Amino acid sequence: MRSQFAFAPSLRFAFIVVALFVLVSPELKNVSRETFAKETPTNAEVSEGLTCQCGCGLTVANCNMPTCGFSVPLRAEMDGMIRKGMSRAQIIAFYRHKYGEKVLSSPTTEGFNLLAWTMPFIALVLGGGLMVLVVGRWRSNSPSAPSGSKPAVEPSSFDPELRRRLENELKERR
Amino acid sequence: MPELGNLALAIALILAVYSIVANIYGARRNAPDFVVSARHAIWSMCAMVTIAVVVLWVALLRSDFSLEYVATYSSTTLPTAYKITALWAGQQGSLMLWTWLLAIFTSVAAFQNRRRNPDTAPYALAVLAGVAIFFLLMLNFVTRPFDLLATIPAEGSDLNPLLQNYWMAIHPPSLYIGYVSASVPFAFGAAALITGKLDDGWIRSTRRWAIFSWFFLTLGNLFGARWAYEVLGWGGYWAWDPVENAAFMPWLVMTAYLHSVMIQERKDMLKIWNLSLIGLAFELTLFGTFITRSGVISSVHSFTQSGLGPYFLSFLAAVTLAYTALLIYRSKQLRSPAEFESYLSREAAFLFNNLILVGITFAVFWGTVFPVLSEAVRGVKITVGPPFFNRVIAPLALGLVFLTGIGPLIAWRRTTTDNLVRSFAAPVAIGVVTGIIAAAAGLRQWYVLTALSLAAFVMGTVLVEFRRGMNARRHMLAEPPAKALVNLVAKNNRRYGGYVIHVGVVVAFIGIVGSSFFRTEVKKSVHAGDSFTIGSYTLRFLGLSEVDTPHLASATARVEVLSADGREITVMSPAKLFFIRAQQPATEVAIRSTPLSDLYVVLAGIDDSGQTATFEVFLTPLVFWLWAGGLLMVLGTVIVMWPNVRERAAIATVLSRSSTAARELNDVAAPGGD
Repeated sequence: MRSQFAFAPSLRFAFIVVALFVLVSPELKNVSRETFAKETPTNAEVSEGLTCQCGCGLTVANCNMPTCGFSVPLRAEMDGMIRKGMSRAQIIAFYRHKYGEKVLSSPTTEGFNLLAWTMPFIALVLGGGLMVLVVGRWRSNSPSAPSGSKPAVEPSSFDPELRRRLENELKERR
Repeated sequence: MPELGNLALAIALILAVYSIVANIYGARRNAPDFVVSARHAIWSMCAMVTIAVVVLWVALLRSDFSLEYVATYSSTTLPTAYKITALWAGQQGSLMLWTWLLAIFTSVAAFQNRRRNPDTAPYALAVLAGVAIFFLLMLNFVTRPFDLLATIPAEGSDLNPLLQNYWMAIHPPSLYIGYVSASVPFAFGAAALITGKLDDGWIRSTRRWAIFSWFFLTLGNLFGARWAYEVLGWGGYWAWDPVENAAFMPWLVMTAYLHSVMIQERKDMLKIWNLSLIGLAFELTLFGTFITRSGVISSVHSFTQSGLGPYFLSFLAAVTLAYTALLIYRSKQLRSPAEFESYLSREAAFLFNNLILVGITFAVFWGTVFPVLSEAVRGVKITVGPPFFNRVIAPLALGLVFLTGIGPLIAWRRTTTDNLVRSFAAPVAIGVVTGIIAAAAGLRQWYVLTALSLAAFVMGTVLVEFRRGMNARRHMLAEPPAKALVNLVAKNNRRYGGYVIHVGVVVAFIGIVGSSFFRTEVKKSVHAGDSFTIGSYTLRFLGLSEVDTPHLASATARVEVLSADGREITVMSPAKLFFIRAQQPATEVAIRSTPLSDLYVVLAGIDDSGQTATFEVFLTPLVFWLWAGGLLMVLGTVIVMWPNVRERAAIATVLSRSSTAARELNDVAAPGGD
């Protein structure tokens, strides 16, 4: 009886969510269809991949200086390339060749630049590993969770291989 | 008058140095009269910096162009409000604002601790005075706000047009208050390390400072985003610019800190981690200033670049080294017999929350400094712009939102499977149903579907928590629902204020996702009387009107907005401005905001005849909710910070021993009180 009662506000909330989506969805639906219907890239999609060199620090898509000597002619030139049927990758490669790597709005995924993309995730995995190691040590300190007893909830998502390695490491440290 | 400003800054420096010496001597030699004297020196230092600030303000208001600062950042035609905000338009003024805020906060901390924390407060105040000395050295010797010009110009150069906006009047002070107030918990953390008083007393003493800092960092980031949205005219509000990143990183770390200190308060764990986080938060505030001032990384927000970079870098390195050395020195004492029972516990959720928040901070830091690294290693200049940050941060943000829902409902120590199912069944159902409805509505992007589902899941968890608490009050105290809700929040303001903040974060997240994925854009050149469409709107260009004043020339377009059925909704007035003194153009966008979408109109160009205008129009769904979420975060923080009698009693109990000692100390030193 108690658990059924706990669902009541959730159902009301779900109703509100549904109502909100009824209101919002037509607009999003139209937009998302427009986005996916395109076969050729838009000027904005291409120019988002390039950085304006006027010093504003924004992408060519976002530089809003009406008299910008870089983004304004570039966007016009890009329109011509798109009309000729060039893809986003081809246009960006063209400008990279012309202005160098600094014109790209994000690092390439090759060589040293690969570090830019991978390092945040490497750091996160290392940090997570360290956290699991430290928590493992704390768990062994916990009087209510002795190593031989079955925990109230089995951490089934805990990778057995990682667990084995962790236990080995802890044994070594002891 | 300038002499008075210089003199005040010089005396402030001397007083700051004296307060360090007297505080440390008084604390080490158990000489309370020196501690009291140091406190008085801090208050006097604050008075001196206040005098310097007032002198500069008076010079700005009187357009005293004999001062280089006034001549560079104002003009006779500049509106009075912007003459006041010009205080933080330039480097010298903004450093003086920083120093002033630091002096005020140090004075408040000195007042709050005049009868408590007798062992640690003198060291904390010495640390704060040390930071003030760095800024006062800059103001006295490196970047002087009261330097005079050899030839007095008849007119000033005027304030940068981009800064002549009301959001810019409140954005920098908010951000600076957030930055500078983080110094107080940092100083008390450092004092705990220096004195070896490593219990959670320093956390309890500075909890409100930490929340206060987080509150203003939140406001500062929001105001900055709103300024970018209204002024830069590209339809967006966040471009992952280095200066934006520099303001975002301390916010992330302070958020992690505010969660992890709960574990220390509850279980006496994570002492090293919490001290590291508060140290990192403070260092990131210095890093932010270094980025803005040094010019090593180009930014649209770097309005003042100078040779201050090396000084800030040296100070940042010194602070980091000294603080790290203290942490290593005390590391054995900081280790506590931590106990951790299960990954299915609130402490585990908080740990993962910290991992992701610090992970995002690292990703933002890495992306910000990578161009410098690339140039140093490869000799090749590269740009790390929005596509990088969006791709790297987006998946981490989903994890963070997920944990925002997990934390509140999961129990401390451990949760059984039954409890887990009972607590999360409803929120999970809400999340899944939302995802299905969104997919049925035609949304196909996996990120959007996941984000909406998770957002609904978090809303569900908060709702379940509120309902549980209200039911408990209704059953036990027979309170009607409205009274139960009010009393629930009033008596547990930290907890339920926190939930309101969570709702604010999720609402803002929905705004960010909607505005990032579904923005549409149209650029059209039209003659007066012609129309064009975007989404369901039709826009008709009615004509231009021009106004010239001594300060600026403006051309304003009148654009009639019609609905799909041809009904007039409103008339919008985007404008092009030309600031005469600064000889710079600027854009004034027109925005029609509704909960569903923002119609954002930019007057991009006008032909010579004045009959043809070019418009850039953006239709951005759900961006309204970003600002609404921000308001909810503000409301939640106000609830959290609202004085709570029970909490005060708990703090009084914790501090009772030290307060008795402090009273004795003060009675000896100053029988009449301070």
